[in-house]
Amino acid sequence: MPVTDRQAHQLLDADGNVTRDKPWIIRTYAGHSSAKASNELYRSNLSRGQTGLSIAFDLPTQCGYDSDDPIARPEVGKVGVPVNSLDDMHVLFDGIPIEQMNTSMTINGTAMWLLALYVALARERGVEEKLLTGTTQNDLIKEYLARGTYIFPPAESLRITAEVYEFCLEEIPDWNASNICSYHLQEAAATPTQELAFALANAIGLLDLLKERGRFSGEQFERAVGRISFFVNAGIRFVEEMCKMRAFAEMWEDITAERYGVSNPKFRRFRYGVQVNSLGLTEAQPENNAWRILIEALGVTLSRNARCRALQLPAWNEALSLPRPWDQQWALRLQQILAYETDLLEYPDLFDGSPVVASKVAALRRDAQREIDAILEMGGVIAAIESGYMKSALVRSMGERMSAINTGEQIVVGLNKWTEGLPTPLLSGDDGGIFKVDDRAARETIANLERTRATRDAARAQHALETLKRAARSGESMMEPSIECALARVTTGEWAGALREVFGEYRPATGIDGQRLGLPEDRVGRLRRRIAALGDRLGHRPRIVVGKPGLDGHSNGAEVIAVSARHVGFDVIYSGIRLSPEEIVRSAVDEDADVIGASVLSGSHVELARQIIALLDGYGARARIKLVLGGIIPPGDVPVLHTLGVERVFTPSDYQLIDIMESIADLVEARVDADEPWDAAVEPAVP
Amino acid sequence: MSTATEIGPSLSELVDRARGHDPHAVATLVSAFQDRREPAGARRQAVMSALDSMAGRRDAVVIGITGAPGSGKSSLLARLTDELLRADAELTLAVLAVDPSSPISGGALLGDRTRMRATTDPRLYFRSEAADAELGGLSPSSFQVCRLLSRLFDCVVVETVGIGQSEADIRHLADHVYLVLAPLGGDELQLMKAGITEIPDAFVVTKSDEPSSGRTHRQLCTSLWLARPADGDSLPIFLTSARTGAGIGELRGAVADQIASGPVADRAARDRYFLERWVKDEWGRAGLAHLHAALGGAGAALERAGDLDATAREFAKSFRRAIGTRS
Repeated sequence: MPVTDRQAHQLLDADGNVTRDKPWIIRTYAGHSSAKASNELYRSNLSRGQTGLSIAFDLPTQCGYDSDDPIARPEVGKVGVPVNSLDDMHVLFDGIPIEQMNTSMTINGTAMWLLALYVALARERGVEEKLLTGTTQNDLIKEYLARGTYIFPPAESLRITAEVYEFCLEEIPDWNASNICSYHLQEAAATPTQELAFALANAIGLLDLLKERGRFSGEQFERAVGRISFFVNAGIRFVEEMCKMRAFAEMWEDITAERYGVSNPKFRRFRYGVQVNSLGLTEAQPENNAWRILIEALGVTLSRNARCRALQLPAWNEALSLPRPWDQQWALRLQQILAYETDLLEYPDLFDGSPVVASKVAALRRDAQREIDAILEMGGVIAAIESGYMKSALVRSMGERMSAINTGEQIVVGLNKWTEGLPTPLLSGDDGGIFKVDDRAARETIANLERTRATRDAARAQHALETLKRAARSGESMMEPSIECALARVTTGEWAGALREVFGEYRPATGIDGQRLGLPEDRVGRLRRRIAALGDRLGHRPRIVVGKPGLDGHSNGAEVIAVSARHVGFDVIYSGIRLSPEEIVRSAVDEDADVIGASVLSGSHVELARQIIALLDGYGARARIKLVLGGIIPPGDVPVLHTLGVERVFTPSDYQLIDIMESIADLVEARVDADEPWDAAVEPAVP
Repeated sequence: MSTATEIGPSLSELVDRARGHDPHAVATLVSAFQDRREPAGARRQAVMSALDSMAGRRDAVVIGITGAPGSGKSSLLARLTDELLRADAELTLAVLAVDPSSPISGGALLGDRTRMRATTDPRLYFRSEAADAELGGLSPSSFQVCRLLSRLFDCVVVETVGIGQSEADIRHLADHVYLVLAPLGGDELQLMKAGITEIPDAFVVTKSDEPSSGRTHRQLCTSLWLARPADGDSLPIFLTSARTGAGIGELRGAVADQIASGPVADRAARDRYFLERWVKDEWGRAGLAHLHAALGGAGAALERAGDLDATAREFAKSFRRAIGTRS
């Protein structure tokens, strides 16, 4: 019965009855090993009450390589599911009714390809394309800035994104062609202001482009504005985060109305999904992360006016390894308790009228607007990327964050304060509390890929690729040609390879300038003197090659190491990301480096270390060049790495940069006294 | 020293391997040519005499590529070396990239390797060096390293960050110098003021896919006409884009022709210049005066000792004796 005198705390539906909101879409970000194993995982997650799918792809799929490509081999099935062709898609969605499913794909450089595969799957299943709902992440701006799985140069990448919008608007109207991501910016230590400004500038860049391309009528353009959705992060400062979400919604409302003249309020709504913060999760006392995740989830759910539409929570052990099915279930249960057990969804917005919240939101908006204006002044988001402006800003924020943690100004419980504690029982299971990908899965994936290549109609595949390249060159939409490629069993590597041929590959600006490190000056001074002295004894300043072998593009850690090493007096050769082990070793050999510092976050550290050491052996440089590794490395793997010949392993618990630098200096010092082959090689020349 | 003989490869084996472009052997030798410790001079002398005693190889052609930070040198070099190697299956190339170092920590961030795919081609060797000064230019050992690489490869490309004065060094080191300019790299007045337009044999304007590159090209033509009235009109200007590959073919053709016709710079003059520069760096003006007064100048000293490192040792001994008696 409708309520006649509504009380302020009551939430009413359209008919005036007291109601409660429907929960957000509940997901876990999942995928690993192979299409078959991931399919089993999705089905069991859905049976446990998950209401949407969020697909994690492995790095070769994200970067456009087939599973049997040399650079891909160590990464197959590691951080997500490998998808080589439409055959894999059939396995991945086996028994899952895609017409009823909301499927979110974290895919960027190859987003158009994965959408083409999904559409092709629908066509072969006889499902109407219009019924598909979900998201392709498809935000390349943040890939250049933080995440690193871009393939093509910015202009071409944005063209692909735009073409996906142009296709989806009429063909798959409920599909989110892209997600504007501020999530990854916060993972790269962006401040709330930077998150707001960079994400909104990114959205402006995209809408300006759609407008400029002129493929949409005025009415279509309004609808396209309504299709823009965001993917946001939520950190531990949850009150500020809640205010950030309100600022986002208000600013988006203004931008769509003022800059784009969108009149329909429905198309001006700020729609967003969330994955809460992983940057602040610690390897030390990992059980504390469970509380952090809970608090972060509150930041994006408490305020009804700025509540997320879909939520993913990381697992408590993310700083240690990829989550096991049980870890994901535990994260899922947290969402279910929040949505179904608590009274959260029974109320209107809790913060409307709060002067504190209003003032905080206003302050965030003011700062963010200033930053947006600065970016637009520079010529927009692409110019700000190509000049390195945004990247440098993020790297500086990362430096400031690390500096604050190093000095204790920012408290991280269990990491820099109250570090003494009982050992966690959560890690004492048979599996050590971490997830291992079965090596056999990659072999099966590759066997399937070979079967696809052997059994397809080769002429059709070839023809489809030629058509794709023609479209790429002529400026026609590549979407339908991509769908034909998918149907013709073209592979992921072939699709991306064809476009690499036309567009070239992008090498980005690095953010290695302008960092503030917050290293303790007294120890830096001592270390500099030590390194200078080492240089006198070695005949050269100690040299370190820093790079990221493999495909994972989270380069900020490696960059902080490179800059710190220079700061304490090493000569540093920073070789960037996406290197094959061969490239990083060859570079170290050419440079006659003392140390290779490799950063690996993808879980492939053992394979990569093995390959690097074998290659050093091949060049006869194993005794000469020492290997140190950093990244997310489970404690159980550390002895394995030492046995392989890795000299030092740094994990997130080694957050003190100066300790890492001293440790590397120790390593170089240890070999100074060893006989160099050189001294043996030359007779003492008599002048 | 006697027990050590067992662990190390013999000198001639190391030199042989380096001549076969084994990267680890080349790298080990390069390190000796960068080494500032006294005994390293003897090693260098031994390596040079071993290399010179082997018949056959002509000295490499040295190409200097210089330009301000951000002018697009690294991307250009990546494309250029790639195309040079692709066009000639026999060609071997070494790149020596000299980067500024931090005056505070002494450390350097070498190279913009992120713009250049690391090589895995055995015919290409890539080495970085830290310049002593923050402003770039050559490192004190660049000349030494270049001497070595010249005897191992067909072509040595020396890449430097060029800001003004220090660029005179590259003029003396290279057979041909290319100045790289990015669009909007400065107005015509600045080009002339810096004096750098007087050094290069050719210009490369990068990023020609950007609209402003046309203007840069025109400005360059105007300032050359003013700065180098004698040859300004005949200096080649290449308009290139590492992104699209435009103009790289022409540049590649020009460099390939220069490689084919062999070194042009006067080797003896080069040795004299760098000996004097070394003396001045290490011993100052008094050293330079001593070189002339006591040893009859760089030319005579080099001729007497027969080798650069031998001359340097000779000089050091003589100069120490001279100041020792005085004090």
